[in-house]
Amino acid sequence: MPARARGPVSVARHAWPVRQRGISTDALESLLLSLIAMAAAGVLFGGFLAVQGHDALAVYRTLYLGAFGTRFSIESTLTQAAPLLLTALCTLIPARVGLLVIGGEGAVVLGGLGATLAGVALGGAPEVVGTVMTIAAGALAGGLWIATAGALKHFRGVNETISTLLLNYIAIALLNHLVSGPIRDFSQTLKAQSWSIPKGFMIGNIPHLSVHWGLIIGLLVCGGLHLLLRHTTLGFAMDILGGNRRAAQLTGLPIGRLILLACFLGGAAAGLAGAIEIVAVHGAASESLVVGLGYAGILVAFLARQNALAVVLVAMVLGGISASGGLLQRRFDIPHAATTVLQGLIFLCVLASGTFRGRLLPRRGAQ
Amino acid sequence: MNIKPTSAPPEIEVVDLCKNFAAVRALDHVSAKFRAGRVHALLGENGAGKSTLVKCLMGYHRADAGQIVVDGHRRVMLHPRDAHGLGLGMVYQHFTLVPQMTVAENFLLGRERLPVMIDWGSEHAALDAFMARMPFRLDPRRLVATLAAGEKQKLEILKQLYLNRRFIVLDEPTSVLTPSEADEVLGEMRRLADARQLTVVFITHKLREVVGFAQDVSILRAGKLVAQTEVAAASEASLARMMFDLPASAERPDRSSRAASQATAPYLELAGIHAVGDRGAPAVIGASLSVRPGEIVGIAGVSGNGQKELVQILAGQRVRQAGSVRVGGQVFHGTRHELERWGVSVLIEEPLANAAVASMSVMENLALRQFDQPPLAIAGFVLKRRALWPFAQALISRYAIRAGSPAAPLETLSGGNVQRTVLARELARAVRLLIMQNPCFGLDVAAAGEIRRQIMRVRNDGAAVLLISEDLDEVLELSDRVLVMAGGRISYQTDRAAADRYEIGRHMTQGMARLSA
Amino acid sequence: MTGTFDLGWWGVLLAVVAGAIRVSTPYLLVSLGETLTEKSGRVNLGLEGTLVLGAMSAFATCYLSGSPWLGMLAAGVAGSALGLLHAAICNLPRVNDIAVGIALFIFGIGLAFFLGKPFIEPRAAMLPALPLGNWSDNPAIRSAFAISPMFFVGIALAITLEWGLKNTRWGLILRIAGESADAARAIGLSVNRIRTLATMAGGFLSGLGGGFLSLYYPGNWNEGLSSGQGLMAIALVIFARWSPLRCLYASLLFGGTSAIGPAVQTVGISEGYYLFYAAPYVLTLGLLIYSSSPTRTLAGAPSELSISR
Repeated sequence: MPARARGPVSVARHAWPVRQRGISTDALESLLLSLIAMAAAGVLFGGFLAVQGHDALAVYRTLYLGAFGTRFSIESTLTQAAPLLLTALCTLIPARVGLLVIGGEGAVVLGGLGATLAGVALGGAPEVVGTVMTIAAGALAGGLWIATAGALKHFRGVNETISTLLLNYIAIALLNHLVSGPIRDFSQTLKAQSWSIPKGFMIGNIPHLSVHWGLIIGLLVCGGLHLLLRHTTLGFAMDILGGNRRAAQLTGLPIGRLILLACFLGGAAAGLAGAIEIVAVHGAASESLVVGLGYAGILVAFLARQNALAVVLVAMVLGGISASGGLLQRRFDIPHAATTVLQGLIFLCVLASGTFRGRLLPRRGAQ
Repeated sequence: MNIKPTSAPPEIEVVDLCKNFAAVRALDHVSAKFRAGRVHALLGENGAGKSTLVKCLMGYHRADAGQIVVDGHRRVMLHPRDAHGLGLGMVYQHFTLVPQMTVAENFLLGRERLPVMIDWGSEHAALDAFMARMPFRLDPRRLVATLAAGEKQKLEILKQLYLNRRFIVLDEPTSVLTPSEADEVLGEMRRLADARQLTVVFITHKLREVVGFAQDVSILRAGKLVAQTEVAAASEASLARMMFDLPASAERPDRSSRAASQATAPYLELAGIHAVGDRGAPAVIGASLSVRPGEIVGIAGVSGNGQKELVQILAGQRVRQAGSVRVGGQVFHGTRHELERWGVSVLIEEPLANAAVASMSVMENLALRQFDQPPLAIAGFVLKRRALWPFAQALISRYAIRAGSPAAPLETLSGGNVQRTVLARELARAVRLLIMQNPCFGLDVAAAGEIRRQIMRVRNDGAAVLLISEDLDEVLELSDRVLVMAGGRISYQTDRAAADRYEIGRHMTQGMARLSA
Repeated sequence: MTGTFDLGWWGVLLAVVAGAIRVSTPYLLVSLGETLTEKSGRVNLGLEGTLVLGAMSAFATCYLSGSPWLGMLAAGVAGSALGLLHAAICNLPRVNDIAVGIALFIFGIGLAFFLGKPFIEPRAAMLPALPLGNWSDNPAIRSAFAISPMFFVGIALAITLEWGLKNTRWGLILRIAGESADAARAIGLSVNRIRTLATMAGGFLSGLGGGFLSLYYPGNWNEGLSSGQGLMAIALVIFARWSPLRCLYASLLFGGTSAIGPAVQTVGISEGYYLFYAAPYVLTLGLLIYSSSPTRTLAGAPSELSISR
């Protein structure tokens, strides 16, 4: 112990292996900051509602009821949260190597397209195989889509934020093009949509719940990713690269491969979300894939501050806010967009709170 | 903006100037006089206090004690504005120009108040008239980014003249210039001083420039003024002696008598390395060298002569234009596998920025080299975070790293402890090649002595050691062979037995390269 | 795009030109605003939110007051308010301006949809157009040459900004803040203040762009009004290499490519309609790939910009 010339208090502090128990000062501070930011956003939103002549407290009570108050609302919250678990990872994983990727929306679309095409092509295959292959094709398509941005960054120096933003629009245009012609199911006259995947490939709901299996997949992926980032040498190498590129170079890490892999995994997660939308909800590709799942995922990733487990918690909260939108509209005649306002406020407050990082809690070890 | 022949350039005297930074005494009762219309050289090693002295003059630092006298009047410099008001100006080593703007725009920016609308017609006419009176000229319409380093230096100087500064301080003005550019710039400064239009003070390491262009020279060592004299009364040899003479350090590390045999194959071989610096100018020019197992090869040199770039190439942080690196006789790419296989460790300067992750904990930083090997990893893939703690604890106590907890973020540690953390990490495994850059910079005598003993231990254990240092005493104390790097080239080479500090010092301070076969 | 059958393929060309002018106007206004912001060294990625809030503010104000010009003013004010919010948060140390932009994107859209809910049904007075096609009897030509004054405002602004960045005190100050914060501080300028004003000005112009959408073309207020013009404008600024005049050309090019799809559709070609729609994005990405390099920054980019470092 390097506890020379120190009082008993600090020796006791050393003796407490903080990180070993999985709670570090950093993580605690992140949690506190997020909570404070959310509280601040709540107060601001309350003021906003009060100006509109609403009873803010009553609205919040309803918000809670709409999100978690009944079995139905909880199911609805979980359904809303399921895709966010995955789209958040599209920003979170590349962030570990120091990239700001906002291409979740495009990767969802590509995932949905990939899954649809695979599902249609595999018609006649055994159901389980078909389902797995369909989902895998979606993840692969999304992964390659974002890995493209990673490759452009590494080999050409193209800014990844701008390129993924553009790729979002290109993906949406591609989707619109395909479902309006080349893969359009012309028997559907109500809206432009693609051919449908075989009914047998669809995944249903979790037994006794009206929530589809996508939730379980999302939870498993988040859990698995947490293990990967926290408990493998690969995750550690990514953290080194994200923390200081020079240190990564000095220790001989394969920088290009890490960047490509992080982008691929992030894109694959969002692609998975798109594939699940197909196999669990829509059964065919259409504009319904473009509902802002990717953009909401960015918010979840920032709120979770790069922690894959925190993503689960944050996705539940944001899913709950989305789920209660309808109830707010019915009860108070508050437009559904109120939930977007609240999300935007939370996002802004979380970012502003970042300025207090490292200053909120006394840090151990400062000499 | 005219240099009026009527008003004389100022004369400045500092009396008993003292300045402390925390525990470091940067200026220790310095008294010096800068006579009007003359060129003064300020000579000294890194950290001797030269920059602190001129920054006190310019109002960037406030001296703790002592006086600044300008033309016979005592002045207090609280802000650079105060100095500017008295006609004092400074050209910094790092340019303060805006690269994506034109020369003319950069001239205008320094003005106290810009006009709301700029009449470029009349501004250009005025600038052309100004340029016509100047000893060197630049096209006001050119983009600064397209100027060569020497032209940028001239622009900085012209800017000072344009702003009517008559006492100009140049901080290592020739460090980014080619020798002929340096001669031109300094020659013009001398001519302006001789015409009694300017008083010039320039900071330098290069004796050639002092002898060639200065009239007076002041030599600083460890915050003290050791001499102020007219250049005519000094020789290059006497200046070098005053600049480098330091008391020998108390405790010397044991050098094992088992010297590296000349017959042993070199462990590290560099051949014809070429690289460019951050500004795109050539920084390393055809550097070749070799290090055998069990020997320390020291590269002496003044800061900014390509050492940084050379180390970055070896650390995988800079791409080389040409040349090859071999370790253990094999071509070396710097992959993790090779670093491990050949036991390569690197101690680079500014470890927090260059060799560690500030936001990660001390124990994670200690594991940067070995996290993918037992006992920290299983099969190279599963990271055993529980093993990090005892692994780090052992190194923390062995290297006396003062950290509140192994889980404390590295950025919360003091500079010395960050340095020790990286040292511990790099020496924690079997080292067969150690590359170091200024390993003791900023450390106190005891800590520096400890690190030097560690380096000697590594050598005595049979590792090849490449030591790149701006501290000549360190190089001479540790090295079996001494190389000098100047102007991007390895310009001199000698054995320990034959090493003569004045001869080495002379090569270090020669901007001109003299390649030894 | 009415009556093209009279003119055949000439009608297509006419429709593309007229479409380019109509579609390019919001691009032009938003990209000029973003150029100002980025010249000061900040990126505001939230312009899509600003644009939509501007559209809503313009429409609501015009509906309530009856004056489309008052509506445009309201759009600008709403835009600069969001700009101020962006700047205020980015002025805090260690806050990433790109992330704040994404947050503002969500916030602005939410606010616009929330406050704009009551205005989706009604009709409001529209901005008048300048009838420059009255020399012709052909209704297609007359409609194609009825051009919004905002387009000319945009052109005038592009020229003024191009000139002003080089020839005024404010232009110089703005550029120092974007090129070298250290140099700006060294001569006593407050970098945060410059960037705050630049972001507010950028927000004002983006708000105007939104006002154009709701009060001229397409000329109503609904939640699907913008198809990402705000985000596109950011790519467009890179495309125009941070020059206001090139923003004008790039806007016309982007507007033209966006107008090709609808125009060829009018002559019965609907193949690849959506691929034409993607053309500006592909164009921008291609240009980025061409002009980027792993070892140096983007040509023409202000040095302090986070996306160019």
